Amino acid sequence: MLSSGKDLLTILQEKLGEKAQIQAGFLGKASITVKPGVHRDALKALLEADEKLGIVAISGVDLGPQIGILYHTRISNGIVTVRTEVPRDDAKITSVTDLIPGANFHEREVADLFGVVFEGHPNPKRLVLTERWPDNVFPLRKEVKVSEIKLKPESSEINAPEESASTSGELVNITIGPQHPALLEPEKFSVKVEGEIVRDVEPRIGYVHRGVEKAAESRTYLQDVYLVERICGICNSCHATCFCEAVENILHTEVPSRAKYIRVILLEINRLHSHMLLLGHAGLEIGYETLFQYMWRDREPIMDLTELLTGNRVVASTLAVGGVRRDIREEDVPKIKATLATLREKIGFYKKLYENDTSLKMRTQKVGTLSREDALKLCVVGPVARGSNVNIDVRKDDPYEAYGEIPFKEIVYTSGDSWARFMVRMDEIYESIDIIEYALGHLPSGPFRVKVPRIVPAGESVAHVEAPRGELFYYLKSNGTAFPERVKVRTPTFANLGSFLKTAIGQTIADVPANFVSLDPCFSCTDR
Amino acid sequence: MKIPSPVMWARLKSPWVVHFNSGACNGCDIEVVALLTPKYDVERFGVKLEPSPRHADVLLATGCVTEQCAERLKRIYDQMPEPKFVVAIGTCACSGGVFAGNMNVVGGIDKVIPVNAYIPGCPARPEAVLDGVVKLLNALKGPPKTPAPKKADEKLVEVKSASVTAAETKPLEAKSNA
Repeated sequence: MLSSGKDLLTILQEKLGEKAQIQAGFLGKASITVKPGVHRDALKALLEADEKLGIVAISGVDLGPQIGILYHTRISNGIVTVRTEVPRDDAKITSVTDLIPGANFHEREVADLFGVVFEGHPNPKRLVLTERWPDNVFPLRKEVKVSEIKLKPESSEINAPEESASTSGELVNITIGPQHPALLEPEKFSVKVEGEIVRDVEPRIGYVHRGVEKAAESRTYLQDVYLVERICGICNSCHATCFCEAVENILHTEVPSRAKYIRVILLEINRLHSHMLLLGHAGLEIGYETLFQYMWRDREPIMDLTELLTGNRVVASTLAVGGVRRDIREEDVPKIKATLATLREKIGFYKKLYENDTSLKMRTQKVGTLSREDALKLCVVGPVARGSNVNIDVRKDDPYEAYGEIPFKEIVYTSGDSWARFMVRMDEIYESIDIIEYALGHLPSGPFRVKVPRIVPAGESVAHVEAPRGELFYYLKSNGTAFPERVKVRTPTFANLGSFLKTAIGQTIADVPANFVSLDPCFSCTDR
Repeated sequence: MKIPSPVMWARLKSPWVVHFNSGACNGCDIEVVALLTPKYDVERFGVKLEPSPRHADVLLATGCVTEQCAERLKRIYDQMPEPKFVVAIGTCACSGGVFAGNMNVVGGIDKVIPVNAYIPGCPARPEAVLDGVVKLLNALKGPPKTPAPKKADEKLVEVKSASVTAAETKPLEAKSNA
């Protein structure tokens, strides 16, 4: 493992030689520009240099005569971007799915939105757009106007005969979704079962695709803050923070330290309510409704805290480029501390429950086990990775905001099953409480916002934060106007979904809900 | 159509609701779920969350309606038995909200199916959803005996139509964007 980004760059320069231009400190730790074809060598060199390497995202960018393809990869302490360009009229590039299986969905998404053909991709099907989408219209290319898109009138999906519980040979096909009591969100999963055993899972995502990335290009940076935080109502502050950081990186704005601490408090409150939501929802999915009702009852004080700090129960709308919009009042601090102290006591009860309750353990232990090797290969993030003994946490690896100054533990469990993923979240609730208490105790004085220009100079940047579900990543390209040129969002569930397709196979159909919910899936994030 | 009174009595006493997310950000959905939990406890009004649209009286629809979900939403509405009522929860469900005019977005539940009550808010607070459902039920009883609510209340929850006959479903139109 490497300690600093600089060593890695030296190694890469030696390996790739003349074929790559390496620019340190740009688009993460470094940006490596290569010709198409050499991108595989660059990724191979990175894989050999760092065992924790994974694909964070693949961004497509419309560069006029060329389509830029950016492979954002995660090294132990940050992001390294491998960038290449393919001609617009003949957009073809070799797939990297054989090197990094986790790149599968990312490549399908770029193929959908930019019309890039990934040669050698194992399953080059449509991923996010509707089946009615017109052929050869790639929405994120600049010439495509939203008002001119004409969808195909007939929907093959609706007109196709119902495939639920249809039989194909020995396998029975069970369709879950788009409307299903177990799914709060409209997504479809076709599960092929042989008797009780799951043999194959085919997801169809894209039901919540709202074209946020395209819309962000036609709105100002100020409007975009409110747009991106509505990508996901649960981790809204994370989206807003990540976007603001990306803009601030281009502007070279230093956020006041008080704002950094307030952001940390907001992000951790987001994490508290998201983790409690999931741990309660898990109870519902495994047939333990009492747990759900209890957990959600005790989650309400967190919603009240959010309301106290931001004025709204769910969507905070408190982040702004250059700081935060609201200060924390002195008289609110004791209220927050009292709520957290009560919460800490109550969480002790739930932790004992998850550790000792026989029925809960039977439903979650040894269910959906993901080995460390698979976790690394599939590039999973957040509690899913940490439950499989992969210690990645953006807050520790590449500290943002005030996380570098705040002491906290990184929670890692080794068993890799659904239970481990729940326990990671349970322990993270304690850490979040500690972080908020520390931040309140060390809240610096001074301004909480600086004025920033509305027009952002041309440039590119990346930002990533640790959302409740794992690493959330933004790539931003500006063009010197008040509107961004490209906003790329890679959300944690998009990275984690691949692991479900792996772990569900070979298990019984009855274990699918527990396994699935242990990822904390959020499809409004995934589809954008 | 006048509903026989015992049926109406039962319906008002215990409306069964089905929830459908037509492309929401989860904000409204977690607030709808919060309604069922001890703090708000909507079951004390007899409201029961029902997984199947075929057993439900009221459709609680959230989200800005994506193209993929539009057909599903219509299908779920068609599956519900008559008489049926639709409550649009959240600003997105009322008008498309922040996503209005985006690609792949139809924008608003009432572009696809008729809506009886609109509950704005981003997300709509559980109290507002509760208030909306109760107002819908009151509207079904007939003209209110109490004086009409003040202006401020009307803004919060607007009960648009309390017609018990299902209005004709609007056809899915090709999107016209700004």
